[in-house]
Amino acid sequence: MSTLTAERTTAAPATGRKSPKRRLRGEAKLHPMVWVFVVAVMGFSLIPFYWLVNTSLKKGASLSQGELFPSQPTLENYLVVFQNPEFLLALRNSVIIAVVTTTVALVCASFAAYALARLKMRRKAMILTLILSVTTFPAIAIAAPMFSIWRDIGLYDTLLGLIIPKLTFALPLAIYTLTSFFKEIPRELEESAYMDGATPFVAFRKVILPLAVPGLATTAILVFISVWNEFLLAVTLTSSPEARPVPVAIAFFSGTSEFDQPLGTISAASVIITVPLVILVLLCQKRIVSGMTAGAVKG
Amino acid sequence: MALKTIQPGSAPPHAPSAPKTNARDRAERRLAFRMTAPSLILMALVAAVPIGYALWLSLNQYSVRTAGLSRFVGLENYINALASHEWWAAFGQTFLFAGLSVTLELILGTAMALLLNLAFKGRAVLRTVVLLPYAIVTVVSAITWQTMFQPNLGLVTNVLSALGLPGGDVVWLGEHGYAMAVIVLADVWKTTPFAALIILAGLQVISSETYEAAELDGASKWQTFLHITLPLLRPAIVLAAIFRTLDALRVFDLPFVLTRGANGTESMSMLAYTELRENRLVGEGSALSILTFLTVMVVSVIYIRFGGGNIRDVAKEEQ
Amino acid sequence: MDLNRPALPLHNKAANKTALAATALAAALLLSACGGGVAPQGAEQAAAADPSSGANASGNVNICGVKDASGIYKGTAEAFTKANGKVTAKYTEIGATTDEARTQIVQRLEGKSTECDLFVTDVIWTSEFASQGWLLDQTKLVEANKDRLIPSTVETTKYQDKYWGSPFFTNAGLIYYQKDKVAKPETWQQLYTEAAKAPGNGFVYQGKQYEGLTVNFLEMLYSAGGEVLDDQGNVKIDSDETREVLNFMTEGLKNGSADRAVLTYNEDPARLAYESGNFGYQRNWPHVYRLLNATPLASSFAVAPLPAWEGGKASGVLGGWNLAISAHSTNQAGAVAFIDFATTPDWQKHVAMDFSQAPVNEAAYSDPGVLQKMPFATELLASVKAAKPRPISPVYPQISQAIYKNVYAVLSGTASTEDAVKKMAEEITTAKASF
Repeated sequence: MSTLTAERTTAAPATGRKSPKRRLRGEAKLHPMVWVFVVAVMGFSLIPFYWLVNTSLKKGASLSQGELFPSQPTLENYLVVFQNPEFLLALRNSVIIAVVTTTVALVCASFAAYALARLKMRRKAMILTLILSVTTFPAIAIAAPMFSIWRDIGLYDTLLGLIIPKLTFALPLAIYTLTSFFKEIPRELEESAYMDGATPFVAFRKVILPLAVPGLATTAILVFISVWNEFLLAVTLTSSPEARPVPVAIAFFSGTSEFDQPLGTISAASVIITVPLVILVLLCQKRIVSGMTAGAVKG
Repeated sequence: MALKTIQPGSAPPHAPSAPKTNARDRAERRLAFRMTAPSLILMALVAAVPIGYALWLSLNQYSVRTAGLSRFVGLENYINALASHEWWAAFGQTFLFAGLSVTLELILGTAMALLLNLAFKGRAVLRTVVLLPYAIVTVVSAITWQTMFQPNLGLVTNVLSALGLPGGDVVWLGEHGYAMAVIVLADVWKTTPFAALIILAGLQVISSETYEAAELDGASKWQTFLHITLPLLRPAIVLAAIFRTLDALRVFDLPFVLTRGANGTESMSMLAYTELRENRLVGEGSALSILTFLTVMVVSVIYIRFGGGNIRDVAKEEQ
Repeated sequence: MDLNRPALPLHNKAANKTALAATALAAALLLSACGGGVAPQGAEQAAAADPSSGANASGNVNICGVKDASGIYKGTAEAFTKANGKVTAKYTEIGATTDEARTQIVQRLEGKSTECDLFVTDVIWTSEFASQGWLLDQTKLVEANKDRLIPSTVETTKYQDKYWGSPFFTNAGLIYYQKDKVAKPETWQQLYTEAAKAPGNGFVYQGKQYEGLTVNFLEMLYSAGGEVLDDQGNVKIDSDETREVLNFMTEGLKNGSADRAVLTYNEDPARLAYESGNFGYQRNWPHVYRLLNATPLASSFAVAPLPAWEGGKASGVLGGWNLAISAHSTNQAGAVAFIDFATTPDWQKHVAMDFSQAPVNEAAYSDPGVLQKMPFATELLASVKAAKPRPISPVYPQISQAIYKNVYAVLSGTASTEDAVKKMAEEITTAKASF
């Protein structure tokens, strides 16, 4: 028997149900190949990121030397970014947009997903297809009409004007992910709630939602990042630093002329904006892998 | 509540039984409607008008030479596009890109998810590190890959040269095949975490009993993975595949920044962009957008219908 | 159980209200989508700008355009506001790149937006915008200012015998060379020969598949005596000169005059490659001068105007930006006043001294202050005066694509010169016949 499965057996308590959380808690020798794979994955993820950091520590002529290690590392690019009031404004905008959008998307999507996954409803196939078609439409074809509509109804160049379309285009991903996730939760758990006289809505709140925490956390991260990174709508629907989110603000960083890109400051800003995400992941990471056992299976 | 009749394990708690079920059914459908309404209304409000408008534009031609001139041409823009070499070239290139990148992302994503699910010291670090690429703004990641492969100055080209490996003196973004390889690599780097996260979430719902049963049967680790984990992961993998394919088939930023579509990397979205934005051929460009849209929808529906997974089950629940 | 009802997301009444509001909003959206008119509607006779109106101008002028990298737009707006006293000018950055700025400007013009009075327009946009009736006719204004503007720069604002903008600052290609390694380029042939002599002598230019390749190609084509369209607008690209230039460039890539990496370069990567010190010549814009001076190459590089074709003359392609008044501007007089200020010989000196851009006034190039800031002003002026506009046509984007895609195909070795030239001519002819 393999190391892994053996670990699992020993780690699991001898009696009662074992939670999946414990299942893989075998804090022990992993197969050496697993470590090789860990290193490979880390390397693949980190090398381009390292190159980004490397670029962010260079300025002026050293950007053209292609050194693998900056010979004169400087934090100047970071200072420039932090001293740029428009970047700080953009950071604020992005946080507001991403947090509001993610929250509202999760609420709306978990309702819709529960209905799709569990309730009797007509034309589910059609609804699913329609939902998907919203994200499938090429954004460039939507951007121009949206620009003129937004201008006419006064949403142009406002945070709300960005939250609404971003929410719209984030919903399909959220609904699909959550539907798929809810669907995997064993029926028996709700049924026992029904036995106790619960309505579907109560079952949803009291049984499904707590069980779906990993799915919700995962969806939150995915939606947050996709909203955070979206560029085309953001650039089409804003014209002032008061409403611009980070990706657009970075595009507005300028060198000394229309032709040169300030690679150093762009890289520094890109490194900086991964920080909110790292915080988000650290906050959510226990939830991502907490398993459906968290409050679930009655013991 | 008259729910006593329901047997554990039997399908929905609303199996037809008493006359009361009708009222129940109606109440449930009403609840379902109310729960989906906010999302559907929002999507309809925001997306329907621009999509409908693009549809209308695609049936017309708008003069780029004379102010205000336009004519209704029916399906002519579509016919012209479908008869053009450019469309089919872009079509083929886009599918090549999507096929390669999504396959790699799903394999790597599944492996990553399994890894992230293991218990070992430092897995919190691994989880964060693995997600980093996904957090980089696409355009910036494109610029990073561009500079990494820049002849003489880039990380990759320099390291390959220093190690005497082939590829160090190749102008990656200037050659057929190599350019596509860089674009696929950049996409795999950036979006594998997306697939990994979804699949990781899928791993969470596989209950431990399933594994224990396999253990009792004396299945090897590989057999367990192949016959138990993988089939159970199917919903998550299909879900990741749907959204990754949907994105990959509309790829724009990467080829736009890295090659501007040269060397066999022009995608369907780039073609639409060129007509719509650069050439301002609004009718023709909208037709290309809608063709792109239809292509992606067909692929998505195929996934939903034949890809298996629980989204298909949901779609089949016609009641 | 009792928890159920109140916890519902939408109560009955609320649902009705929401539905009502939603319907109303949907209707509003539909109306505005149709009424807002993204599509061009109804031809208009272009109104003309009155040159004397600037004197009595007041109010606010909003100038819109690409991000202000050199600071010239905001700087000029500030200086104008201070000098004028009655009119307040403000610059709004509406696009981070040239492409994006064009999209944003087009969206505003199509929607008949009054947000912007003046647009800073790339020289290649003139015919397109003018043909759509989006701009105010500036013929009288340009005629009045003509004696202080370099003729080649004025040509970039012309479409169908009228002027649709005023030149603000110009741009022309230059050759940067390492004087310790290679000779000053007099002809393109000499430059390529010299560049092939040693590995460190190579020539870098902008050979990526984009607008810059059209510029790089046309610079040689023009100096070789070729052209894309003649004065009547006939397609003239299928010529011996086109073949000669294409073969010359291809040969240069084969024999090492130019590194194959140029096929991936736009302006910035070309500069960075050159800054690494591994090359002898670089074709780029004037902005590179200041950047090169901050590198170890500062003492070893020199600047030359674009060379001549052997047996021909030196020529080039004009870049730069014009000021175009929106047909929907609510303060045309203010816009005229701003243009008057921006093109004065005095402010044109600041254009060079404060923002390192190429003036559209000839006298500025010999000003001591300018020469101190831009020691290569003489070479730059030579390049500017010899340069010509890119093909003037409302379908210029399509013409340019036909050029750079086919030139790229030849350079990268996927098409023969003959096929590419034929295809280029065909595509340009088709583009010109666009509806």
